Amino acid sequence: MSRIKELQKNLFGGTTSNARQFGMIFTLVAIVLFFQFKTGGLTLQPGNLIALTQQYAYISVLSIGMLMVIVAGHIDLSVGSIAAFTGIVVAKAITEHNVPWPLGIVLGLVVGALIGAWQGFWVAYVGIPAFIVTLAGMLLFRGGNQYIGNADTVPVPKGFREIGAGYLPEVGPDTGYNNLTLLLGLLACVAVVWRELRARQVRTQMEGAEPAPLWIAVFRMVVMIAVIVFVTLRFAGGRVGTSFPISGIILAVLVIAYSFYTRNTAGGRHIYAVGGNSRAAELSGVKLRRVNFFVMMNMSVLAALAGMIFVARSAASGPQDGLSWELDAIAAVFIGGAAVSGGLGTVGGSIVGGLVMAVLNNGLQLTGTGSDMVQIIKGLFLLGAVALDVYNKKQGRFSLIGSLTRSFRPGHDAAAPESTDANLEKQPAARS
Amino acid sequence: MRNFMIKSVAVGAAVALALTGCSNDRDGGSGDSASGDAKGFAKDALIGVALPSKTSENWVLAGDLFTNGLKDAGFQSDVQYAGASTTVADQQAQITAMVTKGAKVIVIGATDAAQLSTQVSAAHQAGAKVIAYDRLITNTADVDYYIAFDNFKVGQLQGQALLDGMKAKKPTGPWTVELFSGSPDDNNAGVFFNGAMDVLKPLIDKGDVVVGSGQKDVKQTAIQGWKAEGAQSRMDSLLNSTYNGNKTLDGVLSPNDTLARAIITSVKGAGKPIPVVTGQDSEVESVKSIMAGEQYSTINKDTRKLVAETINMVKTLQTGAEPQVNDTKSYNNGTKVVPAFLLPPVIVTKANAAESYANDPKLAPLTK
Amino acid sequence: MSTAPPLLEMRSITKTFPGVKALADVKLTVRDGEIHAICGENGAGKSTLMKVLSGVYPYGSYEGSIVYRGAETKFSDIRASEHAGIVIIHQELALVPGMSITENIFLGNEPRRFGRIDWKAANHKALELMAMVGLKEDPDTLIKDIGVGKQQLVEIAKAFAKDVQLLILDEPTAALNENDSQHLLDLLRGFKKRGITSIMISHKLNEIEAIADSITILRDGKTIETIDVKADGADEDRIVRGMVGRDLGSRFPEHDSNIGDVFFEVRGWTVRHPISAERLVCKNSSFTVRRGEIVGFAGLMGAGRTELAMSLFGRSYGVYESGQILKDGKEIQLKSVADAIANGLAYVSEDRKAVGLNLLDDIKTSVVAAKLSKITRNGVLDEAAEYREAEAYRKSLRIKTPTVDEGVTKLSGGNQQKVVLAKWMFTDPDLLILDEPTRGIDVGAKYEIYGIIQELASEGRGVVVISSELPELIGLCDRIYTVFEGTITGEISRRDANPETLMKQMTSTKKLATS
Repeated sequence: MSRIKELQKNLFGGTTSNARQFGMIFTLVAIVLFFQFKTGGLTLQPGNLIALTQQYAYISVLSIGMLMVIVAGHIDLSVGSIAAFTGIVVAKAITEHNVPWPLGIVLGLVVGALIGAWQGFWVAYVGIPAFIVTLAGMLLFRGGNQYIGNADTVPVPKGFREIGAGYLPEVGPDTGYNNLTLLLGLLACVAVVWRELRARQVRTQMEGAEPAPLWIAVFRMVVMIAVIVFVTLRFAGGRVGTSFPISGIILAVLVIAYSFYTRNTAGGRHIYAVGGNSRAAELSGVKLRRVNFFVMMNMSVLAALAGMIFVARSAASGPQDGLSWELDAIAAVFIGGAAVSGGLGTVGGSIVGGLVMAVLNNGLQLTGTGSDMVQIIKGLFLLGAVALDVYNKKQGRFSLIGSLTRSFRPGHDAAAPESTDANLEKQPAARS
Repeated sequence: MRNFMIKSVAVGAAVALALTGCSNDRDGGSGDSASGDAKGFAKDALIGVALPSKTSENWVLAGDLFTNGLKDAGFQSDVQYAGASTTVADQQAQITAMVTKGAKVIVIGATDAAQLSTQVSAAHQAGAKVIAYDRLITNTADVDYYIAFDNFKVGQLQGQALLDGMKAKKPTGPWTVELFSGSPDDNNAGVFFNGAMDVLKPLIDKGDVVVGSGQKDVKQTAIQGWKAEGAQSRMDSLLNSTYNGNKTLDGVLSPNDTLARAIITSVKGAGKPIPVVTGQDSEVESVKSIMAGEQYSTINKDTRKLVAETINMVKTLQTGAEPQVNDTKSYNNGTKVVPAFLLPPVIVTKANAAESYANDPKLAPLTK
Repeated sequence: MSTAPPLLEMRSITKTFPGVKALADVKLTVRDGEIHAICGENGAGKSTLMKVLSGVYPYGSYEGSIVYRGAETKFSDIRASEHAGIVIIHQELALVPGMSITENIFLGNEPRRFGRIDWKAANHKALELMAMVGLKEDPDTLIKDIGVGKQQLVEIAKAFAKDVQLLILDEPTAALNENDSQHLLDLLRGFKKRGITSIMISHKLNEIEAIADSITILRDGKTIETIDVKADGADEDRIVRGMVGRDLGSRFPEHDSNIGDVFFEVRGWTVRHPISAERLVCKNSSFTVRRGEIVGFAGLMGAGRTELAMSLFGRSYGVYESGQILKDGKEIQLKSVADAIANGLAYVSEDRKAVGLNLLDDIKTSVVAAKLSKITRNGVLDEAAEYREAEAYRKSLRIKTPTVDEGVTKLSGGNQQKVVLAKWMFTDPDLLILDEPTRGIDVGAKYEIYGIIQELASEGRGVVVISSELPELIGLCDRIYTVFEGTITGEISRRDANPETLMKQMTSTKKLATS
């Protein structure tokens, strides 16, 4: 096997890599470089990166939840409306009923949880398809937003705005950079190294599985650390008073937590099991209803959080909040490699998918492309990304499923494994 | 192995540092723009214009005028419309992109005037001047100027036109009317309505003017998003609930032309005589309607004039001088009083249409 | 007859998929008017060969040539081959459940009159075709309302609607019960008389013996031999040897039962149908299982064996009405699958693809799926432990795969079944209920699975085997219960079991003397 292929397989996955995700990371790099060139260096300017993070944080928070919903085999159309509804409730509570803003955030999450419990009840316990329940929710909570807000725009106080528009404070000696952001970058580097070492350790505990060659591990680490250092210095080197945004930190924490949950816990496994084959999952002792209830409820809580981040960034809750967010979140998840039929997809992939869309959007705006063309290009891009994957699958090159389940044995793939005679009859049949 | 790894990591870090170089927004470079208040800026600087989505001809016209006008004045321009479905978020992103590109003045026709304070602050901190165009941006100290037609005056003119029109048809009261107002998230909608009520309220209180449905509050009369179908369906239900008997409707206060035409469509659909309906914006269809004797009045807020004045303001800012304003008291946006330059609106009925639109290449032929 | 040119000759067919040769220099000669069986283990290339023949893999995507009626064919797609009178009936039936028999028969081939479908003519023709295949139903009946055996007949009728000359059946009796299978075989004989040639892919050696004129054996994508039954006779051992490449000796491994006390007992189990509540799918069924014992459940399709098993397994089927489950003398309540697993029950379903496995999973994920708690440490899945456990089963059950990171779809049926068995062995159950554990599995893998079942019993677990193949039950089980219409109608020990007595009890409610 060629080194390139080996690299492709080992670079971005711990144990199993995901071809679409891999392709998307390259697409992302290509788009960034393209616009960096096209805009004369504006794309990677600190100010732009910071703004990009803030603009995209709330959509990404949604796409985490949406990923889990889609993996479980459902869809949620109501997230934008829930975000708007929560936003107005929180804004009103803080501004008109003098609720302290930290309590307001808690209130928002509670509202999200209640709405989620409502939708989860219909989906999981009554058995109405999530498409219908959330279509109803979309109307219900959009109307709720207008009913409560009288379609007014309600401002929120300074403290609350921090979660959407805030930055890390400037502390310590004048290094020419935001010190806390530097610290975060350092932590990220340490985490990357630790994770790599740990992954190798786990892999060596597995009898019969060789860890990836050392040079690949090192290469991967060098690349990742180079990226982190680069990004850290960019974020830390923005205008005085700015840094890696608070909303970005919220997002990062959520991404880490949910990646861990979906990959490394029984609860996460159950979501994939339900989406992959709900009957098989049920007969393996998975509590179907509980899983469905959880993903729907979790989605609404994250939608509530996203709504609050947006309100904080906009400094006010307005009647147009959350319009077509569900579409952005769903697009991010599918570009990130999830399957429409459920059971497949990763949190990381969805984040990358969302990032690709965000950079595309931002780059087009920086080049002065009108919003009409931006929409057309984004639409074509979404279609193209998924179509390419489908095409690849049909051609038998690398399919998403294939790459997800591909073995982790560099050097052995070229030789046909003993069982391939068996899958020949199966696989083409499945494709035709 | 560990040693090798650590070394490699160090190399990686070094490479990244080298890539980043010392390009850092914190040292030098940016200081002059942040504190360059009185200095003006380059003659070919970038001017950003962020407008709402292309839902009315006026915004499309304004966009074209800005693009051409700024170019003629020697500036680079970046004129953007918000997308149709993701308006607020789009506009936020567009303004941020303009800041990144280093725009020196950003003219904003806000989609939601209360949700842009973060972006406006970022613009201000990056040293850009912010001009609120047509709609006052609220809850921020970072708006530098406001330029618009005098919207309270618009409302007053509409109220007066409504009375004049009804008197012309039926010399003595009481007159039965219905009231419509614009989108509640548009700061101007309330101003128009209050202006109109400034004229109508005394007569309503006296009983000379009767609001047939009793819906007098701005919240009851509001049409979300200035949507024609919203106005039409509200009018439909008013006709069904209040005017299905012999009660006649004498006049309708409509805040703009789009809504006015929707109201007239509704009335015609119900087979009722068309009442006196006001309007605003001088849209082509409404001018035709006025000439045909259906809609009673509109307001001529010449977009050309407004854009021209805005570009004048940009030119003044370029030289570093203080632009001309004519109202430093009325426009409090919740945080500060924004210095404003207000242009006078003109009421147009069938009687003075030809004269009013004489200079307008599109409308003038319609009035002949 | 030997002088007549063959109807079909496939010469040196080689078909390559990225990385692997599926067919290597395969030849197949089919004489006019015969029934030609193709045997081979799963993965031997049978279906691929038939897809080459029927144009699913178009001309140009394979090497070699196909001569049909003396001329070389170059089918570009399946329509082209159908046009030439070659019709393939796949294992998975291609019928639309919500449409009527007539609509399905003429789907894509509707008789038209002035541009619109002539339903009157269609119904008339449908009745004719149905009579040909011996299907007595109202042609307006919806497909979902008739059994799988009749659905198979509809498929064949559909083939006749296309004026078939060479009929290819891919495992036609795999999902049929004995009666339906017999009917189908009779039908094929009838077709033969009318000059229609059939190619039948099958695992069931007894059927092949009964019906085939010629038998072609494939192994690993190569032709092993073609047997002319009239000349050479159909020697089962020879076929098996050709298929697996070695002698099997006995079909069942040696096993000495070491049976302990009764530890699992079901009393008066009664369950209602999930939708039509007046129907009882299990009626007052009682049975016992001893430690180390393999207990068989014999019954025709639809007798309620699966329903009984699933309703016991955490009430996964139907509505519980009455009855008790006792384990080690104490009554236990199994209200959910989780309860059942916690109480040491395991259920291996009859349909491993639809309900047994998540086909998106890899082997290791599948193995641990039913008891994630066993590899969870402080709430976190221990991936190394997962790998080790799966690896251990790979070795002990001889699952053919390079690594346990492989996706389960890449495995053959037999190896998938081993993964499912591993999944349930991982839960360390006291009682395993295996529903049709060898369905769709080739001879070699069956032997291995029997070995695993016996091993499980030797460890002192109770094993319940549900099967439609009577020889399998007789060969494997220590004791066999017969099930008819939701009731247990008899209990026979291994000594006394023979197909005739079993069949008798499987088809009547009258209880015979228990042994």
